[in-house]
Amino acid sequence: MAREQRLAEVFVEIADSLIDDFDVLDLLQRLSARCVELLGVSAAGILLADADGELQVIAASDEHTRLLELFARQHDQGPCMECFRSGAARTNIDLRNSGAAADWPRFTPRAREIGYVTTHAIPLRLRDRVVGALNLFQRTDRRLAEDEIALAQALADVATITILQQRSLEQSHVVNTQLNSALSSRILVEQVKGVLAERWNTSVDDAFHAFRSYARSHHLRLTDLARHVVDGSFDTAVIPAPEAGPEAGPAA
Amino acid sequence: MAEVLRSLRPGSGGDPAAAGARALGVPGVAVSVFPRSPDGVGAVRAPEPLWCFPELSLRFEELQFTLGEGPGPDAVRAGIPVLEPDLRLVAPDRWPVFLAAAQQLGVHGVCCFPLALGGARIGLLTLLCDGSGPLSDIQLQDTNTLTAALIASLLGDRGPLDGLSSMNGGPVGSDGAAGHDGDGLWPPEGLRRAVVHQATGMISVQLDTTLAQALVRLRAYAYSSGRPLGDVAEDVVARRLRFEGAMDDDGNGPHSPDGGEG
Repeated sequence: MAREQRLAEVFVEIADSLIDDFDVLDLLQRLSARCVELLGVSAAGILLADADGELQVIAASDEHTRLLELFARQHDQGPCMECFRSGAARTNIDLRNSGAAADWPRFTPRAREIGYVTTHAIPLRLRDRVVGALNLFQRTDRRLAEDEIALAQALADVATITILQQRSLEQSHVVNTQLNSALSSRILVEQVKGVLAERWNTSVDDAFHAFRSYARSHHLRLTDLARHVVDGSFDTAVIPAPEAGPEAGPAA
Repeated sequence: MAEVLRSLRPGSGGDPAAAGARALGVPGVAVSVFPRSPDGVGAVRAPEPLWCFPELSLRFEELQFTLGEGPGPDAVRAGIPVLEPDLRLVAPDRWPVFLAAAQQLGVHGVCCFPLALGGARIGLLTLLCDGSGPLSDIQLQDTNTLTAALIASLLGDRGPLDGLSSMNGGPVGSDGAAGHDGDGLWPPEGLRRAVVHQATGMISVQLDTTLAQALVRLRAYAYSSGRPLGDVAEDVVARRLRFEGAMDDDGNGPHSPDGGEG
């Protein structure tokens, strides 16, 4: 399928979701997966600034903990932090370059370990304010072209709108509340991964996979279901537990 | 705000509520925390006042949780802030008993912010307002900072909930604190890492306790063993470390499952 056609479909899919009572984490996760598909990159993640101005991962194309941890390493250093501080995109960064290792000693080696060679950071902007960044990783050194970077920025803008839900954008306290609420949902989902992994004796990644499949097939909002797991009002025994086994392999 | 953050350090002798009211420019501040409940993992309990300034804010806090209605109980139930800086503008049927009682008490407006990390519910921050209008952007920003600091402090190794971990068989090392340079409370080290929250979820099942208690236990263990929180959390998630034993037992710290039942 031509990319233009696929692109149109993706925007229709997102627009449809925005009209419904959508779950912000689930939509951002889908958006991350679409970034991977449309831009031909290996992984994508969306990071938001918390109350201290440090970045936290909110969604990723792949929930593997190793990838989540790589995003988390950028809370105070890395291309995303620089993009967030300056408001400018940082693209086609070669992680094999000695400069990258020197600039970000905690981030670069870990990214290389997973096998990434190129990274990009695109700002999530609301008018003159930067609220986070879209982060892309590639296992190859193919450069993203201008039009692909413009597309990445368009997807980042959709993510921003999704998070802020279009309403009352002028009121910064509303923005803050929605950012906090998205970050809080993210923490909740991580806690639920742990709860389920322990109950089922599986890895957290397998637990999450089963949990999300259940939520999607029953049209339940991920965050709502997570909250019900935590407060005990949902019996997790009804979710088909994944088979217990060793940790899954590294992030794709 | 710096004074507020200082007042949260253990042993500072400061009053975070009074300092908070001064820093935010509001007439009163109350911080309430959920008590440990032996049975109610799922039950919504009322938080209990921990720091209040002035006396009025304590009476207000007791009022709304005695009545079980008002912005505080709503914020606790929904897990989102409830801002009503001018109680005269609130529809009378929203909180029929509370509204009249609050105004009689002399409270003109109130803004309530839940203190929570995901599903780990810790408490509630209540700001009394003078009824002259909404909080400014700067006040709201400062409130965000205060909220983050309170969460970190309340979960802290020697913070107000610390008794919970040491009295509950948490591994209290005699010299384990060596290598830490002070309060270990601020900034909330490691709380940005997914693995910490995953480990918290696992520990809550291992100990059959709330997420908040599980996180306190995890942090206490990391502190007393002198290791970074994230490293300990990795051990929990990789099942190299388990927390076991009822919350009220003594001496049931975590243990490594090696050589055990496997």
